[in-house]
Amino acid sequence: MKSLLRNLIVVMGLALGISSVANALVFGRHVGPEIDPSLAVGALTLLAGSLAVLNVRRKK
Amino acid sequence: MLWRMLPSRLLGRLYFLFFIVVFEYSFCFAGRGPIPSHLQLSGNTVVPYGVIPLFACMVFLIFGHSRLKALQERIPFSRLWFAGHLICLAVVASFTMAAHGYAKFSWLLFDTFSYTKSAFYILATVLLALAFIPPRSWKGAIRATGQLWILSTIAGVAGCVLSTLVVSIWRATSTTQTGMIQRITVRAVKMILDLFTPDAFADPATFLIGTPRYSVIIAGGCSGVEGFGLVLLFTSLWLWVYRKETRFPQALMLIPCSLVCSWLMNILRLSALILIASAGGSDAFTVGFHAQFGWIAFVAIALGFSLAIQKISWMHKAPAFARTTVERTPEGRFVEVTGVSMGLGESSEHRGESPAIRAYLIPLLAILVVASASKLVSGYFDWLYPLRFVAAAVALFYFWPELKKLDWRFGWFGAVLGAGVFLMWIAPVWWTHQHAASPLGAELAALSPTARWAWIAFRVAAAVVTVPVVEELAFRGYLARRLVSREFDSVSFTAMTALAVALSSAVFGLEHMKDLMDWQHLILGTLAGLAFAAALRWRGRMGDAVAAHAISNLLLAAWVLGLGDWAQW
Repeated sequence: MKSLLRNLIVVMGLALGISSVANALVFGRHVGPEIDPSLAVGALTLLAGSLAVLNVRRKK
Repeated sequence: MLWRMLPSRLLGRLYFLFFIVVFEYSFCFAGRGPIPSHLQLSGNTVVPYGVIPLFACMVFLIFGHSRLKALQERIPFSRLWFAGHLICLAVVASFTMAAHGYAKFSWLLFDTFSYTKSAFYILATVLLALAFIPPRSWKGAIRATGQLWILSTIAGVAGCVLSTLVVSIWRATSTTQTGMIQRITVRAVKMILDLFTPDAFADPATFLIGTPRYSVIIAGGCSGVEGFGLVLLFTSLWLWVYRKETRFPQALMLIPCSLVCSWLMNILRLSALILIASAGGSDAFTVGFHAQFGWIAFVAIALGFSLAIQKISWMHKAPAFARTTVERTPEGRFVEVTGVSMGLGESSEHRGESPAIRAYLIPLLAILVVASASKLVSGYFDWLYPLRFVAAAVALFYFWPELKKLDWRFGWFGAVLGAGVFLMWIAPVWWTHQHAASPLGAELAALSPTARWAWIAFRVAAAVVTVPVVEELAFRGYLARRLVSREFDSVSFTAMTALAVALSSAVFGLEHMKDLMDWQHLILGTLAGLAFAAALRWRGRMGDAVAAHAISNLLLAAWVLGLGDWAQW
């Protein structure tokens, strides 16, 4: 039951997330957007790089 | 042969196929002529059926990952099916060219244009799927994952239905006056403005809000929904990837917390924008602030979410993980022995990234952080660009004790390759004699001579000294080797695989795009990345790749300053 709930919420999150992002890319082209697609690569690189650095294993 | 570089196992082949299909869809339809309604990924008045296969495939790959990974059979590649795929794709490209007004293809523009184009596109996709994965392997994949394909299809349909629901919540149209989030956002911003200024006004009917000196209309995309989408996507994927280390349902509470944070940050963004502009802030400043703040907020929320999961003991658990070692049997044979261990201390010793990652990535992250902050306050002209040079120089100096272990010597090959990359980069401009318009020249001319030359000096120094070192460390030194092994610092530069070099070069190309439709710089950047990787592999010396990169940037700086072609910067 717990596993079903977890999977259901993750799937719902993915569905809503993808829908919103896809809509933003197609219809969200207005002046001064909340999330500017042209800045996506730099921001996602910063996020991915920061997560990788934070995930460094600790030395004993 | 190129197909020998393809992943040989089923799971890798499926992921590769998925990315190729997404890429081809973008190439065939995104911004290139009419998108048939039945293939749209999103829509306003039509139901976007295109999201069903996309979302179904994502769910199938995510939830079937471990079972598909167990299928270790080598998969052949069918050149015949692939040839059929290329022919169908060529037909789709012809339709696209016809839509762009190429006279030779105008006879293709008849009433059923979009249906014929999409029929060929679907046929091309099916042939590609069969070329990458033969029918026998598809059957094996479906058998191994049980009824997952049914659940994935249901999830795809659910995603399609949710998509239309999201649009109705988000957008106010003439027929459905919804725009619920827009109205709530307008009221929340008005409450904050009232704290600082007595003459704030708001019109919930038109979503207009501001002061007599500056006002904005809060469009659907500005109301916080874009942030919701990104945060939901990130948090859902994070919880799935780290599900074994995460406690459920406790961790699920962080999703609404993150969404509320995202919405509050957007309220803060809109309020600050109106207050700053009303107080006399320049248009350039408001443009930079408006565009950049959303991404900074998203990155901060995503990092906060991942740290909260990792650091709050109520949210995470010590994972059981399998450790595989190679031992010698009494008969002298080598066998793999797998044991299961528990305990966070031990797991953190064996999992995670190599500590060497800091020296390779932090200089790039320093540049990205400073770039985000400077764009926030700069607007169209990044007058704080010199700070990027300073940030990179400080980070490289700090990590130099680690970095000096690399071989920084270079030879003639790197220099020649760098000149070649420069020629390739300016070839489109040279060929067409069309210099793209750029406001940079006019912005620099408006500065005092001292400020102008100081800015140019830092820009050239960054392009020739810090950027080549930082980017080569990140893309070739780290990413290309990390794609080979988690212990990337123990992988020789000469041992980088072709697939790792190709993928890291593609990411390098993405970094050089000026916007999402900038295919020219994506291709040029990818080719430049391949050339720099070739310089690195030649003798396994980082110095050769950096020299190639620095020479190409130096020649480009000379081109820009000599001809005034500011668009190249």
